[in-house]
Amino acid sequence: MSEKQEKILLFGYGRYGEQITQSLLSGGYEVYVVDESKEALKRASIHNIENIFLIDIDDDEKLTDLLFDYGFEKIFCAYDDEEKNIYLTITFKALFHNIQVFALCESKESERKLHLAGADRVIDTMEAAANRMFFLVEKPAVAEAFDHILLKDPNIIFKEIVVPKGSFLDGVNIKDINFSKEYDILVIGIVDKELGDHFTFVTRGINHKIDAEDILVVIGKRENIERFEHTLEESKV
Amino acid sequence: MSFSKFLIDLAFLLDNSPRYKKIKLFFWNLLNNDDYKYKKYFDIFMIFLIISSVIILIEEVTTPISKILYYYDVYVVTGVFLVEYILRFWVYNDIHKIILDEYEESLFLDKKFDTKKVIKQIVKSKLEYIFSPLAIIDLLAILPSYRELRILRVFILFRVFKLLRYSHNLTHFFQVIATKKIELYTLFMLMAFVILVSGISLYVFEDRINPNINSLFDAFYWALVTISTVGFGDITPVTHEGRSITMIIILIGVGMISFATSIIVSAFSEQLEQVRNNRVRHTIRKLTDFYIICGYTNMAQLFIKRLEAEKQPFIVIDQDKKIVESLLLEGKLAVAEDATKKSAFKNIDFDKVKAVLLLTNSDMHNIYIALNVRSFSKKVYLLSRTIDNNSYKKLKLAGVDEVISPYLTSGYFASLILEQPIALQAINDILTARKNALCDQIEVTEGSFLENKPIRDIEVNRFKILILGVVRFHPEKKIKYLQSEFIFNPQEDFVLRANDVLVIMGYSISISSFKSYIIESSLKHV
Repeated sequence: MSEKQEKILLFGYGRYGEQITQSLLSGGYEVYVVDESKEALKRASIHNIENIFLIDIDDDEKLTDLLFDYGFEKIFCAYDDEEKNIYLTITFKALFHNIQVFALCESKESERKLHLAGADRVIDTMEAAANRMFFLVEKPAVAEAFDHILLKDPNIIFKEIVVPKGSFLDGVNIKDINFSKEYDILVIGIVDKELGDHFTFVTRGINHKIDAEDILVVIGKRENIERFEHTLEESKV
Repeated sequence: MSFSKFLIDLAFLLDNSPRYKKIKLFFWNLLNNDDYKYKKYFDIFMIFLIISSVIILIEEVTTPISKILYYYDVYVVTGVFLVEYILRFWVYNDIHKIILDEYEESLFLDKKFDTKKVIKQIVKSKLEYIFSPLAIIDLLAILPSYRELRILRVFILFRVFKLLRYSHNLTHFFQVIATKKIELYTLFMLMAFVILVSGISLYVFEDRINPNINSLFDAFYWALVTISTVGFGDITPVTHEGRSITMIIILIGVGMISFATSIIVSAFSEQLEQVRNNRVRHTIRKLTDFYIICGYTNMAQLFIKRLEAEKQPFIVIDQDKKIVESLLLEGKLAVAEDATKKSAFKNIDFDKVKAVLLLTNSDMHNIYIALNVRSFSKKVYLLSRTIDNNSYKKLKLAGVDEVISPYLTSGYFASLILEQPIALQAINDILTARKNALCDQIEVTEGSFLENKPIRDIEVNRFKILILGVVRFHPEKKIKYLQSEFIFNPQEDFVLRANDVLVIMGYSISISSFKSYIIESSLKHV
C-alpha cells in the first residue's frame, strides 16, 4: 500500500493489542503503543515495538499532549477490558471531534455502548471467532474460501472503489456490466449515495444506477483490481 | 451319563454357541435395553395390546363381545403376554454361567461338582425374578383371560399396571416415590394406628346408639373417610364422645395430608435434577449428527445462535448447574457435568457426534477436556478456542484438530478495518448472515446435474447469486495443505467435476431457490 506508513495510536498491549500490533506492523503501519501497565510495555519492547508510552487512560492532559505531538488521526482501542475501550472512546470523542476511533469488544452489549460513545468502527471479536468456528464445522468450503481470500492468498483482496465523476461507470446501471467476465473481479455490493450511506449487496437484485461518489465493494486479484481502477481513471471525461 | 455331567455338557454347549448368545442378547435388548432401536416398537405394540384388551374386558362386563374379539383377547393377547413372561424369565440371568462357575470352582479346589448347590442357586435366582413386583404384575395380567372365574377379572387392573413397564414417565414417578419409602412407611403406620384407635373408640362409644355403625368394619371405614378429610357423611357420630374423636382426627387428618403432600413434593424436588438428567440423556441417545459444546461461554452462545438458525442439534455440557437449568428451561439440551471427567461422556456414542467444541474460558480446562474426549474417540472432530497463544501447541498435542483464537481473528481484521471498513462490514454481514446475505456451499455429487457442467451453464443471474469460487480436492496429494485448492471466480469455461464444492453468495431466498433448482435438475438428469 503506497499510502501506508500511517501512524496509528494503539491502546492496550494485552492479548488483543499484541495481535493487532503485529498485524498492523506487517501491514506497513507505524504503531505507537500506550498502556497503563509496565509489564505490558516491557513485553512490547521485547517484541521490538519502538514507540511505547506509559500513560494512565484517565490522564486527559497527557493524552492530549501525545495526540498533538504526533498528530494521530486514527486510534485503536485494543484493551482486553471492554470498559477501558468504551471509556477511551468517550474520552477521545469528547476531546477531539475529528479523530477516528476503532475499538474492540467481546459482546453485543459493549458494541452498542461503543457506538453510542461514538466509535467509528467496532470489531466484535467473539462474534467473528464464533462465526469462523461455525463455518469450519458446518460449511468448511466457505471457511476455506474466506481463509484463502483473507489469509492465504495475499494476491486476492477486498477493495472499496469510489466511482470517479465522469468515468465510464458514472450513470450506468450495475447490471449492464459483467464485471466478472470483463474485468475478472466480483462486485459484492454498493454504497449507493442516492439511497444513503447504506451498503447493499448486489445479490439483492436491485439494478442500481451507479453515480459519481458511489462506492463499489469488489473482490478480486490485486492486479485485476488495479487494472480496473486504472481503466476507471482513464475513462474520466 | 450322570445328571451332573449332563448339566456341565449342556452349560458348555450353550456357552460355546454364538447363535444362542445372539438370540438371547436380541431378546434381552428387546425387553430391557432402552437404547435398543427396536425396543420402542415392541413397547408401542405391547401398549396397544394392553389397552385393546382392557377395552374388550370392560366392554364384556355389560355386553357380549364378538367371537373375533374374544379369540383375540384369549389367544393373541394372552399368548403374547405368556411368551413375554417366559422370555423375561429366560433372559433374567444365565443358568449355564452358574453351572460353569461351580464347575470351575470344583476343578480348582479339586472337589466334587455339587449339583444340589447349583440347582439351589438356579432356583433361587429364578425365584428372585418371579417374586419381583413387575414379574408378579406380568403374571397376574395373564389371569383375566380365564373367563370361567369371574373373580379373575379383577386382575384387569394388573393389565393397566403392566403399562408401567412400557412408560418411562410412570416408571420415573414410582422411582421418585420409592426414594421416600421410609417416610411414607412411617406415615402409613401412623395413619393405621390412628385409624385403629379412633375406629375402636367410635365403635365402643356408638355401637347400638348409632344406627349406621353395626360392626367394627363400619367404624374403621368411618375413621378412614374422616382422616382422609373426604367425609362422605354416610356415617356421622351422634354422641359427644364420638364427635370429640371426630374433631381430633379431622385435625390429625389435615396434618397427615399435608405431611404426605410435603413428602411427595420434597421427593420430586430432590429427584427432579436426576429425573431431568435421565430424560436429557435419553433424548441425547436419540440424536444423530449433533455437536457437543463444552462450556456455555459468550462464544458458545454466539455459536449456538448460528446452529439454531440452521436447525442443527447440539448439547451443552457445563459445570454450572444454574446455567444448565436455565438452558433446559429455554428448551435446549444441557447436562451439568465436569467435561474433564469420564462420567460426562460415558453414555455418548461418538460415531453420532459431528464435532466437539471446547469453549471454556480456560486453556488448561480445554486441554483436559480434549484429552478426555480423545480417550473415548480418536476420530471425532475437536475444535477448541484458545486464550493464550502459547497453548496452541499444547492443544494440538492433546488432539485438537482446529484451534480458534478471538485474538488472532481480531488481528486478521485489524488492517482491513482501517483500510476497507465497508468491505469488512460486508464480510461480517455475510459471515453473520445479517441482512439475509449468506455464503453457502453446494457439493457437486457424482452423476448430478452439475457434474461436467461449465460455469456458464449455471444460471447465476436468474437466481441472483454470485459464485465466489470453487473448492477442488486433490486426495492423491500427500501433503494435507495441498489436498484442497480454492479457485477464485472461476471463468465461464471452467468445468465442474464430481466432489468439487461451489462457494456461492446471495440472499437466503436466492440460495434456497438455487439449491432446490440443483436438486430438481439432478433428479431430471438421473
